[in-house]
Amino acid sequence: MKKLLFLATLVVISSCKNETKQPEMQTSENPFFQEWNTPFEVPPFEDIKDEHYMPAFEKGMEEHLSEIDAIVNNTEAPTFKNTLEALEKSGKLLNKVQSVFYNLTGSNTNPKLQELQRDLSPLLSAHSDKISLNEGLFKRIETIYQEREGLSLTEEQLKLLSDTRKGFVRSGALLNAEQKAQITKINSEISELTTAFGQNLLAETNGFELILDKADLDGLSDGIIAAAAETAAQKMEAAESDEDKAKYKDKYVFTPHRSSMYPFLTESNRRDLREKLYKSYVMRGDNGNKTDNKEVAAKIAKLRAERAQLMGYETHAHFVLEERMLKTPEEVYNLLMQLWKPALERAKVEVADMQAIVDAEGHDFKIAAWDWWQYSEKVRKARYNLDEAALKPYLSLDNVLNGVFETTNKLWGVTYTELFDINTYHPDARVWEVKDKDGSHLGIFIGDYFSRSNKRGGAWMSSFKSQSNLEGKERPVVVNVCNFPAPVGDDPALLSFENVTTLFHEFGHAMHGILTNVTYSSMSGTSGPRDFTEFPAQILEHWASEPAILKSFAKHYKTGETMPDELIEKLLKASKFNQGFANTEYLAASLLDMDWHTLSAEDDIKDADAFEKSSMEKIGLIEEIAPRYRSTYFSHIFAGGYASGYYSYVHSAVLDSDGFEAFKETGDVFNPELAAKLRTHVYEKGSTEEAMDLYTQFRGRQPKIDALLKVRGLDGSAE
Amino acid sequence: MRSIKIIFLLFFFLSSAQIFAHPEDELIIREIEEGQLSFQDDQMTAEYEAALKRQRLRKLNAMSGSKQFFLFVKAGIEHIIPKGLDHILFVLGLFFSSLVFMSLLKQVTAFTLAHTLTLALAALDIMQIPGQIVEPLIALSIVWIAVENCVFKKTNKWRPLVVFGFGLLHGLGFASVLSDYGLPQGSFIPSLIAFNIGVELGQLLVLIIALALVWFFRKKTWYRSYIQIPASIIIALFGLFWFIERVFL
Repeated sequence: MKKLLFLATLVVISSCKNETKQPEMQTSENPFFQEWNTPFEVPPFEDIKDEHYMPAFEKGMEEHLSEIDAIVNNTEAPTFKNTLEALEKSGKLLNKVQSVFYNLTGSNTNPKLQELQRDLSPLLSAHSDKISLNEGLFKRIETIYQEREGLSLTEEQLKLLSDTRKGFVRSGALLNAEQKAQITKINSEISELTTAFGQNLLAETNGFELILDKADLDGLSDGIIAAAAETAAQKMEAAESDEDKAKYKDKYVFTPHRSSMYPFLTESNRRDLREKLYKSYVMRGDNGNKTDNKEVAAKIAKLRAERAQLMGYETHAHFVLEERMLKTPEEVYNLLMQLWKPALERAKVEVADMQAIVDAEGHDFKIAAWDWWQYSEKVRKARYNLDEAALKPYLSLDNVLNGVFETTNKLWGVTYTELFDINTYHPDARVWEVKDKDGSHLGIFIGDYFSRSNKRGGAWMSSFKSQSNLEGKERPVVVNVCNFPAPVGDDPALLSFENVTTLFHEFGHAMHGILTNVTYSSMSGTSGPRDFTEFPAQILEHWASEPAILKSFAKHYKTGETMPDELIEKLLKASKFNQGFANTEYLAASLLDMDWHTLSAEDDIKDADAFEKSSMEKIGLIEEIAPRYRSTYFSHIFAGGYASGYYSYVHSAVLDSDGFEAFKETGDVFNPELAAKLRTHVYEKGSTEEAMDLYTQFRGRQPKIDALLKVRGLDGSAE
Repeated sequence: MRSIKIIFLLFFFLSSAQIFAHPEDELIIREIEEGQLSFQDDQMTAEYEAALKRQRLRKLNAMSGSKQFFLFVKAGIEHIIPKGLDHILFVLGLFFSSLVFMSLLKQVTAFTLAHTLTLALAALDIMQIPGQIVEPLIALSIVWIAVENCVFKKTNKWRPLVVFGFGLLHGLGFASVLSDYGLPQGSFIPSLIAFNIGVELGQLLVLIIALALVWFFRKKTWYRSYIQIPASIIIALFGLFWFIERVFL
């Protein structure tokens, strides 16, 4: 499917193709139309201008379609080489421009790129449909698939063949004309509804603001107040009428965006205002107005169920999970429910701990959902007394990078050399060459670590060039983008421990992208199923928390002194803090997602609220916690591509805890034999084999949940 | 807290891994949960400048000692010619005070000692004076010495002292450029010395060029009225203009 989506995106545009040809001049100057003679084929960022993208996208889609046509119209009988491999080689230009464009719209964007992004999205999805619905193409693939036994294909080729075929089948290739028409109709209805869901939610999120006077700021720290004043100033500037402007003058504004809401909920001593802001967040899309999402969500779920049934699946979840590591809804429910009970029990203990503080303060109220952030912080301070600021001097970015380089070096012998003569898209994006233990080139790693105003929040890994051995040895160019605070003045950048685990996490993804060694790029690196690809990233985090390793890189940036044992102990103990809450809200959302997508086409949900309520009652969710996303703002599943997939995160967590446990069992976290297995069966393999097979080859058995419970303190070990 | 964070990370990572799948989905989710990015020009420029400096320092720290030294000598020269027009005019102001070698040597030495002193003090963070104060004063120092050139036919006795005082100001000016440029942590002192050597070389070059230009007229009787005074007036006017610009504009 991945390949298909990929193709699909790569494909669509002939309908939009402009008859007027681009002037030749532009073609010759556009870097996307030229060979890149840069070192390691890192994109020539300095030469790429905003206006180069659209022509390159247009030409890329056009070329891709004609390459597809050539495959379909080939008069020779279909073979693996003239069809599957030809498909794999197609769409190079589109691929080239897409990887640069979608990286930069995240890490170094501007209003022009954002606009382009909006324009491109329908064009690309139409392009992708043209390929995934191409009957001639499917016919050739199906012919090869039926003959596959006698073709002496390698295991990897067989997987590519069956994955590609499955992608077509899942787009409806085996259906009759009438069914296909129905699918197309349902798809377009779903697409309209998901767009509406997103737009409603955007309007609801942007529509609420808590405008405060100076007198309402009790408890808030200076930084938070300054940010709220800045928000007010921006709103004032954007306001059109004088009346609107006056509304924000000398005020402080908080919004239901997480970056604004969480600090307020943590620090504000005004319980009434905390309640107000919190409720504005959880009631998004549930206000019975024009932008209400209750009906939209229910309709989307119903249409998805209908589509699944047409395709021959019991429910949408069955349809989605077929391609995941956990293959059926039963397996997913089983996993979630195993965690649910201990998480909920833990959360109840956390509520009691917080209530004790409320009582001790002499207040007379029962802990409510909007008190959680403030009182959990108080518990944290009282119990762990961990001063985050005291940790930071030991965690300079360069020291942490050395830590992750050293860790991967001890595991796999890889080495890193920083390159200073390669220009990237921003001076903060640094470049390293990664070499294998025999000195051969493995790939290029770009690390872009600091937050800035034209970068999206969060942290992610992506690639500018993927690995393939189809036409010679192509090695990858991968990137990690994070949002660590930029250093102040001439001091080095100092990280929090949370930043450190983020860095290790993303670096794990990067390793997955760099160590990969497969023939076909569509199966390389991080291309596996969603509930597996977090495993190589998350497992690396465990090394960051190993005291011996932490001590090897956590050196004070001024004195060079190693982080004291006492501090390390406190730090590790605090990692189990508030896990009841975090797991409960996450698992509740995952279960809600599953409940929506295991509905059958006959179910007719009229009231999304009642559905959600009964779903949460069934599992006994306490009222002090809301699901991480309620139905009316669960954009991952109703506006994005995570339907029946929100559980993936915790599934990967089962794997990483269980996987790291294997190292612990040997008494050596760098056990060479295990490290080698991890590399050959996981980091190198991409999606060339079934994910569960890859895992069991590394682990010697199927994953178990016990280690995760221990790591998260859900086995009774948290204080 | 940790798993909240992980969930977030995952979410963002998945979005990028799926670059080829549903680019539009992720844009929607991000805009909803985080709000729109705000592109403020001044902030973005400041961020970019800071990043450039970090990049330059990383490159510097990775260089060999001799390469660093050479680079800072070059940077020092460049901060006189062509980037330090106000320093060039000050040195020319000294030049047009007297053609007596000893007098000129005394002034230039005083200037050099003074600016070396403050450059070092400021670079080592021992002394900090904001640019809004230093920069206009540098402009005034140019006016002062140029006017003196017109008023006194011969340089007076306290002139080297005055020049020393002004030199202290110019050193602070060099320091602020140098701190924008950045000094490598590993070889702070050598780089500082190299930068200063560059500045001296640049200054010397200015004097040599000036001397070459007036060489054939230096003994003429009209040297003072047709060259020394008009040149000093022009220098003073420049200084005055900069002063006004730096204070009021």
